[in-house]
Amino acid sequence: MTILARSPRVGLRLPLLVLVIPALLLSVPCRASTQDEIKRAFDADDGVVGEQTAVHSAADDEARKRFSPFAGKKYPPRVYFGDTHNHTSNSGDAFMAGNRLTPEQAYRFARGEELMSTTGVPAKLSRPLDFLVVSDHAEGLGVMFQVYDGNPAFASDPTLARWSKAMKAGGQEATATMRELVSAQAQGKLPAPVTDPKVVGPIMKSVWQQYTATAEGFNEPGRFTAMIGFEWTSVPGGNNLHRNVLFRDGKEKADQVLPFSAWQSEDPEKLWEWMAQYEQKTGGKLLAIPHNGNLSNGRMFELVDFAGNPLTRDYAERRARFEVLQEVMQTKGNSETHPTLSPNDEFADFGIAGWEYGNLTLEDKPETPEMRPTMYLRGGLLQGLLQEQKYGANPFKFGFIGGTDVHNSLTAVEEDNYYGKHIDQEPSPGRWATEAKKGFGFTRYNWQYEAAGYAAVWATENTREALWDAMKRKEVYATSGTRMTVRFFGGWNFSGADARGRHVADAGYQKGVPMGSDLPKPAAGAKAPSFLVAAMKDPLGGNLDRIQIVKGWVGKDGKPNEAIYDVVWGDAAQRKPDRDGKLPPVGDTVDVASASWTNTIGDPELAGAWTDPDFDPSLRAFYYARVIEIPTPRWTAYDALRFDVKMAPEVPMKHQERAWASPIWFTPAK
Amino acid sequence: MRLMPKDLEKLLREPLLHFLLVGSAIFAVDRLVSKRGGEDPELIVISEGRIAALAEGFARNWQRPPTSEELEGLIRDRVREEVYCREALALGLDQEDPVIRHRLRQKMEFITNDVAALAEPTDAELSAYLDAHPDVFRVQPQFSFAHVYLNLERHGENLERDAAQLLAQLKQAGAHVDVPTLGDPFLLEHEFQAVPLAEVGKLFGETFATALGHCPRGQWQGPVESGYGAHLVLVHELTEGRIPVLGEVRDAVRREWANAHRLDANEKLYQELLKRYSVIIERPQPVEGQKKLAARR
Repeated sequence: MTILARSPRVGLRLPLLVLVIPALLLSVPCRASTQDEIKRAFDADDGVVGEQTAVHSAADDEARKRFSPFAGKKYPPRVYFGDTHNHTSNSGDAFMAGNRLTPEQAYRFARGEELMSTTGVPAKLSRPLDFLVVSDHAEGLGVMFQVYDGNPAFASDPTLARWSKAMKAGGQEATATMRELVSAQAQGKLPAPVTDPKVVGPIMKSVWQQYTATAEGFNEPGRFTAMIGFEWTSVPGGNNLHRNVLFRDGKEKADQVLPFSAWQSEDPEKLWEWMAQYEQKTGGKLLAIPHNGNLSNGRMFELVDFAGNPLTRDYAERRARFEVLQEVMQTKGNSETHPTLSPNDEFADFGIAGWEYGNLTLEDKPETPEMRPTMYLRGGLLQGLLQEQKYGANPFKFGFIGGTDVHNSLTAVEEDNYYGKHIDQEPSPGRWATEAKKGFGFTRYNWQYEAAGYAAVWATENTREALWDAMKRKEVYATSGTRMTVRFFGGWNFSGADARGRHVADAGYQKGVPMGSDLPKPAAGAKAPSFLVAAMKDPLGGNLDRIQIVKGWVGKDGKPNEAIYDVVWGDAAQRKPDRDGKLPPVGDTVDVASASWTNTIGDPELAGAWTDPDFDPSLRAFYYARVIEIPTPRWTAYDALRFDVKMAPEVPMKHQERAWASPIWFTPAK
Repeated sequence: MRLMPKDLEKLLREPLLHFLLVGSAIFAVDRLVSKRGGEDPELIVISEGRIAALAEGFARNWQRPPTSEELEGLIRDRVREEVYCREALALGLDQEDPVIRHRLRQKMEFITNDVAALAEPTDAELSAYLDAHPDVFRVQPQFSFAHVYLNLERHGENLERDAAQLLAQLKQAGAHVDVPTLGDPFLLEHEFQAVPLAEVGKLFGETFATALGHCPRGQWQGPVESGYGAHLVLVHELTEGRIPVLGEVRDAVRREWANAHRLDANEKLYQELLKRYSVIIERPQPVEGQKKLAARR
């Protein structure tokens, strides 16, 4: 396969000045200029910025001391992109579908190496990822087997010593030994050391320990993090209750257990119990990330426990402790919300088609509108507020993260470089048309799978510990596969000047709290919370259309409400909201035939401050930010071009990629 | 008592031993899992050792020993599993099952991997590997640089003029500039310390990273194009890329060496085993359409 076309990336309206040409420099008159002149030149929009622009030659020492505004800062300066949800051939279903690539190959691919996909298509990422969690299904992974590998513990046993010698001799003698061994095992008459758990335990080789060893080999602090994890695959009746479990720890601790599988229990409370025991036993730390609420037929945020009993405060506390994040988007669609739940959200239909017929397996019952309030994430957050009102603890207090759930070991979800979720979705002319699943009179097609998503983590450094800690404090956001940068802070006195300033993060951390936090106590005299939000495009991606803040709250009548606000948008000079306050669309530069677009609309960077205009300090609320890109080609458009195929008219060819920043919560004072 | 490393090394180079190890282990595993055959095909014995193993397995999963009731459950389940397994095998349900076949193949490979893993490379071997694959371990060029961002949206047609103006100012001011106060707001850092080339590419795009490599040090330059817009840059320091000595990259070399060694061992074993078989592949004649597709690829 060859790449036939590349999209024009940045509509750079400047002559080829990639490198400065000395001659050109000489031609620029080198005149002295005041600070004000410089400010005018580079603050095109206003003269309000109150910062000192210091270009001078005095006070050297002072300037040097504060040369880097980030030196000595404790907050995370850089966001790390990765995937918390990758399946390899160690997952039974991935294997059944034909995957032959191992965790090692998954790491190599994520680190940027080129390799051959199972179906023989060379694969390489546009840019390496910063981290990867290989999260193979626990079910069937922990099947233990013992291998005679010359462990010294066996040499002291006379029978084993004899066998060892016989094997060295080879030939008939060895074959006889093999039979003897087989027979002894069949009759349960193996030499004591082999059956003694104390001896066998440490040398038991399992897929798990092989995996943790591989993770150890590819984990390079500062460069690439191989975080250890697995997936607990609870799917009662086809209703998706899956959780990925992520370890903060390395092999030494992780090897003290085997992954908890849904074969042991499909009840999430049992999983939390297991997690708590692990933490107690090893001193390690775990968190769980549920995914695909959109395929749970209303069970992801159901208001009863697994046995059907009403929730309790204890349930809420344990769930909130371990389930700190939820996957918003992945290859199997978007779980943010549904158009019927959010009729006033013009962006609610993204990643819905094909995923709203029923549950994961399209069994049991078809999806009905009644199920939806307790299966999508926005609804889950709202239910959380209601439950908190009732029990004094919020069971659904989670941040947003993206994952891929790829089952071919390749986290390849770039639209122009998409290798599908399963093997039958790897690049081929007909992949878009294949039927993925049928049920209730509906068909789910491969073209409805999304090339999504990424986990974006504001960690202080690229290590297991720092990334895990950032996830635990929910300082993360999800993207639909783009690598845009998003900052989101909540506080009581953010203003437009903070957004226009050069140090959004400085202002954000000094005056407020980052994404995933609780709002601090109101500042004296503050009437409503304010939010500082900023985003910058993916260097290889589309410009930004707008940043929105989504507010959810429980009204005085005890009913859940939601509202969406456009905070800041691209092309602001010529793009104004209409009389009803609706912002006109950003436009569309996509040329489907050539699978290309231009960044001539939207903005590369947006920042704004927003104060809640309808704040009531007696009501519980959450706020999260959503950043929307300008329209860009979808993976189907690249396929149509490269394979020269004509797809059915209902297949979408373009979309608006986006990011979701974890919520910030407000809880009224008691 | 330990096997002498020398003996071990000799053993590891003995393909027959590989085979036998593999063979015996695979049988052992198979027996442990299914216990079929035996003396009496209608006799199921759950031995003391087996019960201990069940309890151990439970404890690993649940992090506590099973209660006597749970252990009874495990034993009952084991009997049930045994009955089903024997019946399934009798019916040939294991045949052509992709999961079972994969599992068996995987076990074979794990065993070879284990044998291969017993070999601890010497420094000489690692050095030789490093010498043979210098590009894999090459230390990338590292940049320490400052930059000032220019948002194309804000400057429009004046970008060139504005950039030149600011550049002149920066050059004049030399090192005494409060960089983050200049240019347009930018969400990443304004100062980068010792960032490897690939990281620069990841953060700013390839074009920018390549251009940075051509910038003379200690002087404001630009504009340089990135995925975000334009930048004026000051490269403080460029540490050239180089081939590291073994001590710096021992872990990585060991990982790659072990990987190569493992692949090699697997391949050798496979070739050894393959010799024992005659393989006939009855390929169908390709039909027209497939030929065309094959040609296009």
